[in-house]
Amino acid sequence: MTKLLEVNDLRKYFPIQKGIFQRTVGYVKAVDGISFDVQRGETLGLVGESGCGKTTAGRCLLRLIPPTSGSFIFGEEQVDLAKLTHQEMRPFRRRIQMIFQDPHASLNPRMTVGDIVGEPMRVNRTEEGSALQDRIVELLESVGLRSQDTRRYPHAFSGGQRQRIGIARALALQPELIVADEPVSALDVSVQAQILNLLAELREKFQLSYIFIAHDLSVVEHISDRVAVMYLGKIVEISDAVTLYQSPKHPYTEALISAVPLPDPSAQRKREHIRLEGDVPDPSQPPNGCYFHPRCRYATDICKQETPELRQVAQGVQVACHHSETLELQGV
Amino acid sequence: MALAENTFYEQPLLEISGLKTVFPTDDGIVNAVNDVSFSIARGQTVGVVGESGCGKSITGLSMLQLVPPPGRIENGEILFYRNGADEPLDIAQVSPKSELMRQIRGNEIAIIFQEPMTSLNPVYTVGNQIAEAIVLHEQVDKKTAHERAIEMIARVGIPAPAQRVDEYPHQLSGGMRQRIMIAMALCCSPTLLIADEPTTALDVTIQAQVLGLMQELQAEMGMAIMLITHDLGVIADLADEVVVMYSGRVVEKGTVDDIFYNPLHPYTQGLLKSIPVLGRTPEKTLPSIPGTVPHPLTLPVGCSFGPRCPERMPQCDQMPELAGVNGKSEGGAHTVRCWLHTDLEG
Repeated sequence: MTKLLEVNDLRKYFPIQKGIFQRTVGYVKAVDGISFDVQRGETLGLVGESGCGKTTAGRCLLRLIPPTSGSFIFGEEQVDLAKLTHQEMRPFRRRIQMIFQDPHASLNPRMTVGDIVGEPMRVNRTEEGSALQDRIVELLESVGLRSQDTRRYPHAFSGGQRQRIGIARALALQPELIVADEPVSALDVSVQAQILNLLAELREKFQLSYIFIAHDLSVVEHISDRVAVMYLGKIVEISDAVTLYQSPKHPYTEALISAVPLPDPSAQRKREHIRLEGDVPDPSQPPNGCYFHPRCRYATDICKQETPELRQVAQGVQVACHHSETLELQGV
Repeated sequence: MALAENTFYEQPLLEISGLKTVFPTDDGIVNAVNDVSFSIARGQTVGVVGESGCGKSITGLSMLQLVPPPGRIENGEILFYRNGADEPLDIAQVSPKSELMRQIRGNEIAIIFQEPMTSLNPVYTVGNQIAEAIVLHEQVDKKTAHERAIEMIARVGIPAPAQRVDEYPHQLSGGMRQRIMIAMALCCSPTLLIADEPTTALDVTIQAQVLGLMQELQAEMGMAIMLITHDLGVIADLADEVVVMYSGRVVEKGTVDDIFYNPLHPYTQGLLKSIPVLGRTPEKTLPSIPGTVPHPLTLPVGCSFGPRCPERMPQCDQMPELAGVNGKSEGGAHTVRCWLHTDLEG
């Protein structure tokens, strides 16, 4: 496998401004130095609770918001996307696309489906005239819609179908990488499975790589090859999906897995339930040391003083915990 | 003593039969809740599960006479066994604005909603909002009510209750707001708590805290819970009995083990198969239910699930009855609305 994207030390700080002069009084460290890579044809899951910075990280990668620092080395050319100007970025935009969470808000209600799916190709002048129309129909058919749907408007479609339109639009420019931000969380259970299957099928068909951002651990487990767990702007653990869920190495991962109620009553009765105390801390005033220590049941003195670095503990397993070697953590 | 405890859990608290709630619209009448029957025993947790638009929330609102206009209860009974009363009260017959309904609402049957931010008033302190319910339902002065509010805030596990009582909703996190909602719902010790997607807006670790809290308080106060949710994991965690709804109707009901280990309706089976389960070796493709939920104004003829059903038969053009499994009468615990398990005669 070849590396498609390498993210090094990505940071995004949002200034907190106060007073009539809008003086900066502090920063919300939404993404606080994360590094990971994505192989070609791979799905990397990015999980975490609200406010952990997973969406901000995704948006930085597409340069939808400018990152504070960090580098993203992309493609065979090994270009650092973070350093490109707006003009230089344009040819790369078509190679990285995004699927959004809310299929009701991400489609323009005044445009027909054909226009929505065709717009990226018109803007980038990749297809014209009847070739464009053929391509639109081909895209719609590849996501399970029909050719006669081109002239209908988004309101005529259900949530799942709208998400299919969003996926067709993302595929229009034959991207290599798709950042999918909570693509199924707004959908009903029975439709969610359809969209997950579609995403998996399209990955095979078009050799796509995904960065799959979601809060639902079971969905992420299903679709991902590797999973990165984020907490308060940092990656606390990254490893292949099976290892992560079977034998987590970070106490936060363990707690997250334990908190998911299993749709299996007797298994659920037998499980040990780890209840984390309190809430996620305010990201503008994170605690000292390990950000997770105030809620961690294994925390010792060192956790209160020193911030653990993300380090390799086994082949393909990276963890940011002082005690990961000595802890015996519960998986599913 | 043990005997008394056992009979407590067997006493019925609420019996819904043939409930039909309709919404007249310009394009026709929407039967949001159509011929729904189930019962809740004292101290029991009944989970109502289904996808959006299946009528699960409207069922909950009907039980409190809170159906938003132009919706109204057209048919059916909601028999509520009040404490100390010999005869059950039919809530479906009580006027929404009557004094009697006000006494029941919040006092005997309480409700918590999905979104804790929009269901709390932003311009009053949380203490004020909890105390309001206490003053309304009990003969106490404001000072006592305020103290009771602090007590309730402590009981739902919020640290420093004496300070939190004077804070406004925006000063609290999502999980704490939902705890406040629970405190408000439970301050008058209701016999039934309707929880409509109580943890859907919360993160998983906070969801685990709130569900744990609900279980503890239920054990302590002995109230019954009607848990409305689309999350089968939450149902497996909390419910004793499960009611599965589709397009306004109950398609299957039974104990939590019946529904999860022996689902009979193709919809229940499809739903259970289509969710990715943590730790189960992921298969390449997830079995999914084809198609989408039908529009309430253009329901298919016969069984509403028919067009999506892998087991469709000629009989499915007629609506099957909710009946006991294998010809047993409806009195049995596990009932299903499907021709596969019903004789045409019966």
